[in-house]
Amino acid sequence: MISAPYLEVAVLVLGTVILLIESFFSKFDRRYLGYAALVGLALIFLATFFIAPQSTMSSAPFWNFYSADATSLFFKRIALATTAGVIVMMFDFAALVSSGVQGATPQSGLGEFFALPLFTCAGLMWMASAIDFVLIFVSLELVTISFYVLVGFTRRNPASLEAAVKYLVLSAVATGFLVYGITWIFGATGETNLQKIATVLSGTGLEQNAALFGGVLVIIALGFKIAAVPFHIWVADVYQGAPTPVTAYLSVGSKAAGFIVLLRVLDPFLILPQMQTLLVAIAVLTLIYGNLAALPQTNVKRLLAYSSIAHAGYLLVAVVSFSGRAVAFYLVAYLLMTLLSFAVLILVSQPAGDQLESFAGLSQRSPFLAFAMLVAMASLAGVPFTAGFLGKFLVFDAAIATHHFGLVVVAIVTVGAGFYYYFKVVRAIYWDAPPASTDKIIVSPLTRVALIALIAGTFVLGVYPQPIFDALAR
Amino acid sequence: MTTLGDYLTVSGILFAVGFSGVLLRRNVIIIFMALELMLNAANLSLVAFSRFRLGEDGLPSYNAQVLVFFIITVAAAEVAVGLAIIVALYRARRTTHVEDINSLKF
Repeated sequence: MISAPYLEVAVLVLGTVILLIESFFSKFDRRYLGYAALVGLALIFLATFFIAPQSTMSSAPFWNFYSADATSLFFKRIALATTAGVIVMMFDFAALVSSGVQGATPQSGLGEFFALPLFTCAGLMWMASAIDFVLIFVSLELVTISFYVLVGFTRRNPASLEAAVKYLVLSAVATGFLVYGITWIFGATGETNLQKIATVLSGTGLEQNAALFGGVLVIIALGFKIAAVPFHIWVADVYQGAPTPVTAYLSVGSKAAGFIVLLRVLDPFLILPQMQTLLVAIAVLTLIYGNLAALPQTNVKRLLAYSSIAHAGYLLVAVVSFSGRAVAFYLVAYLLMTLLSFAVLILVSQPAGDQLESFAGLSQRSPFLAFAMLVAMASLAGVPFTAGFLGKFLVFDAAIATHHFGLVVVAIVTVGAGFYYYFKVVRAIYWDAPPASTDKIIVSPLTRVALIALIAGTFVLGVYPQPIFDALAR
Repeated sequence: MTTLGDYLTVSGILFAVGFSGVLLRRNVIIIFMALELMLNAANLSLVAFSRFRLGEDGLPSYNAQVLVFFIITVAAAEVAVGLAIIVALYRARRTTHVEDINSLKF
């Protein structure tokens, strides 16, 4: 039996060792570092199944900050799986990392590119366990600052730099709001631990307005992280400019961690009725804006960015209906289909670019990739027998059970809009004529295995979701 | 005698100045300075809350003061990375004005 905090330590050690090898040894193929990272992440993923239950651990003050319950373990697994998927994508992206740098070899910078996601992963795992505002703040910043570097990693590419500056400024604003919000919550309750805050808030004789002010500021900050409207302005530009594996990481990892923190922070605050109204309003705006803004997009990366805003809307519906189960399942489904679509996008866009035209006639150039993209788009849109459908079903079910009928109507109408823009991609793949002079796309064995696993996961969870519920119940 | 309210007012003004700086200024470096102002506003009110809300044993709550140290450290890390990105941007574009950073369509 392993104590839960060792998981994060293991991820950090793995990242540090890879960084040291990159710095002190020069003559070897840097891709081995990526394989080492993958193997390490797989071992740590296995270790999450042998964690000692929290009750048997000591009651040291550390456990006021850190929780090792089933939910946090589940989200740690999501973080590890996402990071592994992103590193697989980085192999396909490796050729572009040092392009445009004078005097660079194809290998330069690759070691850091494989090591940085591991530090982000450690931050995501700490976020999954954080039950105190101090740890929430520090782990959130670990994630954000390593994302600054990752977004601007291809620094000779002006789009990547521009995305990094925009992400830097807007994330730092969100950090400012988060910290100021924590300040006011502390001022009103005198505590930073979420459970103690819940106790104080349910008591009487409290400066309720101060606590509410702090809570709203924290929600604004988390709204930035999960890309909810009206705090979404960074999303489209940053997703478009960042290196594609990093975009995938941003849209899955940062969102999953944002939602677990949101669930934990809201838990004490939902005692205050104004919070509920605020969240419903944000959910409605996010659903409508995300889906409508995606309609006219012709750049696939941008289309996926708006789609990620729309999915934040469905997740918020689940949050408003207090259904942690629906949120967790939806996030797993979202992980599978988003990683799948970005993995295909990387392979297709390397010669041709991110525009929709580069997908034209993909079914003739590579039937396997065409099928993978079809599955991803069908699942994102919510076609039955895919994980995406079941995720939406659970969300709507939870919303009806808590009598949010208006929210369900808005959500179902926007799903219709989703079908239009996702199937725009499918139409380009299967019906448009391919450009005259295009080569076959080569898919490496590692990527092929990852794609097959993601496709299989999408279908299996679409008909048999029980493993996810078991993992959550433990 | 300075009260808690005085400290909170100053910190509120600092936060507002920082936030409006982010919204109104056009130079990325100045925007970055304004962001630091927002974080320091939070630091000031954290220390004030901690000092004026004494516990039953007559001691301030040290959680908030420890958080202040974390905020200072994280802000330093953020500046290190942020300035590196801004320098790289200046080298690529010869400008740090936000109006010129618009190659991605909005």
